[in-house]
Amino acid sequence: MREIVTLQVGGFANFVGSHFWNFQNELLELAEDPEADPVFKNQDLNMDVFYRYGETYQGTPTYTPRLLSIGLQGSLGSMSSCGTLYNEGSSASSSVMTWNGNVSTQASEPHKKNLFLQSLYAEEQENDIQREITDRDIVQCLENDVQCWTDFSKSHYHPQSLYELSGMWVDAQKFDNYGIGRDSFCGGLHGEEISERLRFFVEECDHIQGFQFIVDDSGGFSPLAVDFLESIADEYTNVPVLLYAARGPGSLMDPLSQKHRISRKLHDAVSFSRLSSLCNLIVPVGLPSLSRSKASNFLCIKDEKPYHCSAAYAATLHSVSMPFRMELLGPSANSSYACGALTVNEAVQMLSGQARQNMVTILDAAMPAPSLTGNQVKQTLLGSLQPLTPEISDHVEDLQSVASMTVHGVLGSGGQRASISEVKDMVHSAYEHAITRPMFCHLSVAQCPLPIPLPFPSIFSNHVGQHGEVLGTPIIGSPSRGSLDVHTIPMAGRLRSSSAVLPFLENRLGDLRKFGFARGGVGAELLRSWGFAKDESEDMAETLSKMILELNPHSQMSSDSD
Amino acid sequence: MSLRVLNPNAEVLNKSAALHMNINAAKGLQDVLKTNLGPKGTIKMLVGGAGDIKLTKDGNTLLKEMQIQNPTAIMIARTAVAQDDISGDGTTSTVLFIGELMKQSERYIDEGMHPRVLVDGFEIAKKATLQFIEKFKTPVVMGSEPDKEILRMVARTTVRTKLHEALADQLTDIVVNAVLCIRKPEEPIDLFMVEIMHMRHKFDADTRLVEGLVLDHGSRHPDMKRRAENCYILTSNVSLEYEKSEVNSGFFYSNAEQREAMVLAERRQVDERVRKIIELKNKVCSGNDNNFVVINQKGIDPPSLDLLARAGIIALRRAKRRNMERLVLACGGEAVNSVDDLTPDCLGWAGLVYEHVLGEEKYTFVEEVKNPHSCTILIKGPNDHTIAQIKDAVRDGLRAVKNTIEDEAVILGAGAFEVAARQYLVNEVKKTVQGRAQLGVEAFADALLVVPKTLAENAGLDTQDVIISLKGEHERGNVVGLNHNTGEPIDPQMEGIFDNYSVKWQIINSGPVITSQLLLVDEVIRAGRNMRKPT
Ligand SMILES: Nc1ncnc2c1ncn2[C@@H]1O[C@H](COP(=O)(O)OP(=O)(O)OP(=O)(O)O)[C@@H](O)[C@H]1O
Ligand SMILES: [Mg+2]
Repeated sequence: MREIVTLQVGGFANFVGSHFWNFQNELLELAEDPEADPVFKNQDLNMDVFYRYGETYQGTPTYTPRLLSIGLQGSLGSMSSCGTLYNEGSSASSSVMTWNGNVSTQASEPHKKNLFLQSLYAEEQENDIQREITDRDIVQCLENDVQCWTDFSKSHYHPQSLYELSGMWVDAQKFDNYGIGRDSFCGGLHGEEISERLRFFVEECDHIQGFQFIVDDSGGFSPLAVDFLESIADEYTNVPVLLYAARGPGSLMDPLSQKHRISRKLHDAVSFSRLSSLCNLIVPVGLPSLSRSKASNFLCIKDEKPYHCSAAYAATLHSVSMPFRMELLGPSANSSYACGALTVNEAVQMLSGQARQNMVTILDAAMPAPSLTGNQVKQTLLGSLQPLTPEISDHVEDLQSVASMTVHGVLGSGGQRASISEVKDMVHSAYEHAITRPMFCHLSVAQCPLPIPLPFPSIFSNHVGQHGEVLGTPIIGSPSRGSLDVHTIPMAGRLRSSSAVLPFLENRLGDLRKFGFARGGVGAELLRSWGFAKDESEDMAETLSKMILELNPHSQMSSDSD
Repeated sequence: MSLRVLNPNAEVLNKSAALHMNINAAKGLQDVLKTNLGPKGTIKMLVGGAGDIKLTKDGNTLLKEMQIQNPTAIMIARTAVAQDDISGDGTTSTVLFIGELMKQSERYIDEGMHPRVLVDGFEIAKKATLQFIEKFKTPVVMGSEPDKEILRMVARTTVRTKLHEALADQLTDIVVNAVLCIRKPEEPIDLFMVEIMHMRHKFDADTRLVEGLVLDHGSRHPDMKRRAENCYILTSNVSLEYEKSEVNSGFFYSNAEQREAMVLAERRQVDERVRKIIELKNKVCSGNDNNFVVINQKGIDPPSLDLLARAGIIALRRAKRRNMERLVLACGGEAVNSVDDLTPDCLGWAGLVYEHVLGEEKYTFVEEVKNPHSCTILIKGPNDHTIAQIKDAVRDGLRAVKNTIEDEAVILGAGAFEVAARQYLVNEVKKTVQGRAQLGVEAFADALLVVPKTLAENAGLDTQDVIISLKGEHERGNVVGLNHNTGEPIDPQMEGIFDNYSVKWQIINSGPVITSQLLLVDEVIRAGRNMRKPT
């Protein structure tokens, strides 16, 4: 077994994670459902990679994500921090057995469960009274109001999984820069407790293949992640970390004041530089406007909704993570369901350590991936893969680029699922005919499409059919389609190491130099207040400039420093 | 003020409004924490929006659970939390003292006095009080054998403010013995060498001291023994798993055989390490029926576990980093970072090692060790919030004992110190001060009384009566505190009510600093809309 432990740090990371686990949960359910599409039966995907077996105090077996999620106090909404399975029955808890004196109870207003959570709960209690809640009501209610990531989560979580940062005394909106979260890991006993929880999940792994680390690096969680990554590197030195630095829509809005803008830019530079130096591969995810990007050709996203954006990113993360749980078959064995298994380490090595040492990777998605025949709408797979990483250049010729692509659930002729070899052939020939080709591309293929769970948002355009096929003529009357109309989606996701990421790096280095190094400037003062001495700021610039140089040996930027 | 630069949009209030806002915030926080104080305080059960329960009687924990938004209140809370970080206790008193200093100031300021004058007075009073505390403290002689009785009394005083007497008294000996166990002469006490472990227990709460170590995991092989006597303990930090070693960039082009060969080579290295451990086991265990236990900080993969199990070795993987140190202190031997360092001298010893399983949770007890310098306090409780609250109390108790040993002094509690210090300030210090700063000294002196007053109030006593009688006794030269059952004066020395010197020192030292900052504010930022306008 090659286990992966997932870490989710910060608001938007947990939104992405919530969708991610919903997909896994859906896959598990479909595999057991006799009426489900047989493609979900034999996935040749080993879910144990992401899940652990356990047992409640009452002896009931459990199967829960190997997950540690960290969020601000209050970010769990109506979900208890002990998760949903290991509850101890509330009757025992009301009496105080440690104190004979006065007891005062201060109860917060109970969080009302939304329709979706009510129906989940009712289902578990096998309680038919609630049956009037229709799926349509649920979808509607989620479209109208999602506050927390738990509002749309259908997964069960282990009590060690959900960690709330208490005693920060900031509201989520103000937890928005590197300085404010600086002491959140080391302060109090947080770091200690977080590390202990991680140890709990790692100890039970027979052979951990890596950490999948999603961080919302738009604000105060980024220094927390930095300190956490430092302690991981210390404790689990040889376990690779695949880091997704994810940004929600809100964090990308234009700040009002100049001062605030400088703070934002410096934060981005500092955060990226620090994070990248502590992981094996970093993947920036999150577009300023997903809805207006090419990645949304067949999507209908409301940029202001984290619930929407995170769904698209999570779907792609799911695709990209599929090779990690494909069964490692001998070289001669051939599965008709999946091929192209990779370990996290192999993926990292392949992307970052081939021709050059570049550990910043672009995430591309085709959601949905076009069918092989693609007759109605002229669309090719390579053409439909669009970046979810911001600030990258569109057309670059990079002879040394390397990619790892996963294509799954793609439809072939006649609406049938294409076979593994058909997909392989198609991709090969596509690359052969492409004008620019990567130096190397690893391909993983699976038959199993992305299942769309009920709490998935209505983000498909009316060109998307029930099985994710792209329709020639739009469906009249519905601007956007969700889980009730679209049941599965063929997907392609790609991690790409390419010099197209240069603008992303150059912007950060440029900002750091422009604002951070100006003597007596606001920015320099800001960096100091975040705890960075001058030489540390210079080190960060150095890190960035090295990354740029690796991709572009002739870069002007890397040489001039002041 | 630099605060202003940070938030240019904030509304700037005029001085007086700002000042009153600060005062109100301080009073507000004081109100929340007031009922916590002392052995007659109120325990708080906090029920979150999702039904999560937190139980606390501790200022520190309560503050951290609160969602404080008012910036002034946050500043005070940070001071109080820092108080806990530095000295381990006294958060509630800190908040009360700051609140009371602000309240006293308000009176004078409303009468037209400039805050600067008060602040000057505070400074004088603080210095004088810190000098007074040196005279007032009760020295404790810490020879090679510390006075266990006094340690017990300090621990009991503290723990009884958190747990009811029966539970508290059970803990008293435990925390004292735990600290004495880890104490090394001439070295600062590292409380991390006391492991605090908890376990669910159906009905009641029970805490015990394990001389040795309790680990929160077990062996990962079905054939390993669950119980073993007379064990050699190998504490190691050696990777016993196949790790995909850094492959070069040619990896993907090399053929399957090459790859296979690399994997095999690496496996052989791991096996070799395991073999060396087995060798040592065979050496020390041949001809006797002693057992061999490996506790490793790094991973051990299934093939390695197999080899070890076949050799009759019990092996635990991914032990806490701190347990490497603790194990060696508890069992002897030394922690090994490489199998090349393996010698019989590295091995520690435990008379008994056994596993305890509770649902999916496993515990390994390493007990019956010789001459331990590390130990475990094992807390059992019926639910998480009870366990958490007891754990907090245990930490408080440990800190109190450590402080006493390091301070080599204690302070008479139950309000005795505060009343005595007030008397000293009013009778001795005030008259040496020129002009109106005298009033600052007086305000400071009166603010000290917030501790005995609140203790009385929480005990349901008439605060005025209590203060009058306490003051009276002190005037007559009797250093007394408050009997929280009767309201009568008592001799804390006789009753064994002692507080930590360093805790009191820190309260006196830090309270006035933040108060002065809040009083001297020129402009305050109105951040957010959560603040009530002063009326
Ligand atoms: N038996 C007692 N009778 C009277 N007063 C007591 C007794 N035991 C303790 N006290 C007093 O109670 C006060 C300590 O109370 P408590 O521990 O609740 O608050 P704290 O130490 O200020 O804050 P924290 O919440 O951090 O513990 C001290 O002033 C101490 O002298
Ligand atoms: Mg106390």
